[in-house]
Amino acid sequence: MNDMRIAERVVDSMESKITARGVQVFYGQNHALKDVDVDILDKTVTAFIGPSGCGKSTFLRCLNRMNDTIDGCVVKGSIKIDSEDIYDPKVDPVQLRAKVGMVFQKPNPFPKSIYDNVAYGPKIHGLTRNKAELDEVVETSLRRAALWNEAKDRLKSPGTGLSGGQQQRLCIARAIATSPEVLLMDEPCSALDPIATAQIEELIDELRSQFSVVIVTHSMQQAARVSQRTAFFHLGYLVEFGETGQIFTNPKDPRTESYITGRIG
Amino acid sequence: MTDISGGPAALPVSKSRRGSLLTQDALTRRRNAAEARFKAYGAVAITLSMLALVWLLFSIISVGSPAFRQTFLTMPIELPEDKLDKSGTRDPAVMAKVTTVGYAAVIQAALTKAIKEKGISTDGMTPKDIAGIVSLEAPAQLRNHVLANPDLVGQTIDFEILANGRVDGFFKGRVTMETARLDSNIKPEQLVLAERLVDAGIMAQRFNWGFITFPDASDQRPEAAGLGVAIIGSFYMMIVVLVLSLPIGVAASVYLEEFAPKNRLTDLIEVNIANLAAVPSIVFGILGLAVFINFAGLPQSAPIVGGLVLTLMTLPRIIIPARAALKSVPPSIRDAALGVGASRLQSVFHHVLPLAAPGILTGMIIGLAQALGETAPLLLIGMVAFVRDYPGMPIDGFFDPASALPVQVFSWTVRGDPGFVERASGAIIVLLVFLLVMNAVAIILRRRFERRW
Repeated sequence: MNDMRIAERVVDSMESKITARGVQVFYGQNHALKDVDVDILDKTVTAFIGPSGCGKSTFLRCLNRMNDTIDGCVVKGSIKIDSEDIYDPKVDPVQLRAKVGMVFQKPNPFPKSIYDNVAYGPKIHGLTRNKAELDEVVETSLRRAALWNEAKDRLKSPGTGLSGGQQQRLCIARAIATSPEVLLMDEPCSALDPIATAQIEELIDELRSQFSVVIVTHSMQQAARVSQRTAFFHLGYLVEFGETGQIFTNPKDPRTESYITGRIG
Repeated sequence: MTDISGGPAALPVSKSRRGSLLTQDALTRRRNAAEARFKAYGAVAITLSMLALVWLLFSIISVGSPAFRQTFLTMPIELPEDKLDKSGTRDPAVMAKVTTVGYAAVIQAALTKAIKEKGISTDGMTPKDIAGIVSLEAPAQLRNHVLANPDLVGQTIDFEILANGRVDGFFKGRVTMETARLDSNIKPEQLVLAERLVDAGIMAQRFNWGFITFPDASDQRPEAAGLGVAIIGSFYMMIVVLVLSLPIGVAASVYLEEFAPKNRLTDLIEVNIANLAAVPSIVFGILGLAVFINFAGLPQSAPIVGGLVLTLMTLPRIIIPARAALKSVPPSIRDAALGVGASRLQSVFHHVLPLAAPGILTGMIIGLAQALGETAPLLLIGMVAFVRDYPGMPIDGFFDPASALPVQVFSWTVRGDPGFVERASGAIIVLLVFLLVMNAVAIILRRRFERRW
């Protein structure tokens, strides 16, 4: 844990974007997540850490209701975005997912052109009125995802032809093209090499100015590098949640300390 | 990050049991021998199946290819007005009163005249023997031609007529002088005369378009039998199968794979689809007879009924590969689409279905090819009937009686005249060509639309 650089974090906003209270998740008989209370602040990077199978990805997928697609998954408790309950029966998950974008563990661009990948979200949500606007959205998204310079000359070539790190940045561009308010990232760097990882981390830090970012990661160094707040999950419980600096230097719970010093997990 | 405690425990393998790397020990030798044996079995199996295939193709092509050549007589035929159109009105309705018997006399006269002009000897042959080298179908050929062009009456036309099947068989090696002696249908003298006619340029073999275009012919005239009605019937049935089974099959597989909840009912449906694919096809024939003909009152022998029955049979065989194709689309694509806020339907139609399309198309074409070669269910709905009239244009033509390629093969093989054996093999060649073309299309489509991710 020598390279753990915990920068001085400035939490820009104390406004709560997502409020989760008493969240329980069941996969059939399996009680995967027990009584989780989390407040995710606006324009902040929140990292979820914990050993494999601790429920951090499950919780992340609750935040945009991707768990709906899994058979036998039941979510209880309340999760509110801007004080609107996203599990209210009146909520259409499609509208929710336009507001809460997601980037997955493995880069998964559509087997279409780079342009079509980014333009897909705005197209299906009717965010642009004409081709020029769409072009602009695509360019802005690619610029924000730090992919514009590499991709501008090959917008028509397939997204699957990019390298792994470029593909992941393309997926980020695709996710931010719909102007979401929250960006969920499920281990976005686990399939990438260190250089691509560094680029993505830099990107996450820049994206913080516009969205609140929630990132699940297995790398504690990464959590320490990119996040302002960190939540530690263990065996389905939220063990500790607080300022990243405090979690890594002065954990309150002995389990957190054991995990970050490498004794469990 | 788990700590490793304790020193390495001694494993119960002593160093001395491992010999030099340069010599194989007994276990390695046995394993290598087993691998070599397995490869040999595989090679033998492939060789046997290739031999069987080559033998099959060779026998079919060697028996069937003569069906594509046919012996014809070409000679000037005088069409006397007093015999063919006594009224002189040139009205086909009136001229139709003259039956094929009248035309047979015209042909016989023309043949006798042609033989005399060429100076060919016909010693010891009755006029009936001489006329016997011409097909029984020839008068009908001439009659149809004249009724179609009534103005020809009174003229002398150069006309091509079919030779008798036995004479044709003689030139193809099927009939010899010895067999002709034992055969009541042909005499050796007739064969000798046929040879002389060939020398005189009246009789010749050429490519037989009639085999593709003519309708079926009766037992006595294999030389006139063709696949025209059967090809049209099979084509109409394939249209019905395609139009019905593509949308139904794709909709069913997309629903089952992407939308249906996983519960007892869908499990039951899945098992039943898998079972239906294995149900013997003749069972579908009985079902079709009961439902479409006896209950719904659709006509017998009609391509529409054949197509419906084949659709029932093909559907499970399309749904299974279509579902496999949908299943093989990586879930990350669905996640990606849902993640940017696409609805379930959008994720299926924008991403999953286009990626599964090559697999679905391949399954579809293989299902169609199976349907094209299916015989048993068609026998039960009356498609084995003897049909000489071409079915009409679609869609009305779907309700006209027709035959089908595999059924035509079946009905020709049960007929007595050896000429039909050659026809049946020829029909198999035509069927195989259709199947090869369809499979080639399947391969090309798959190559073309295949995408990697």
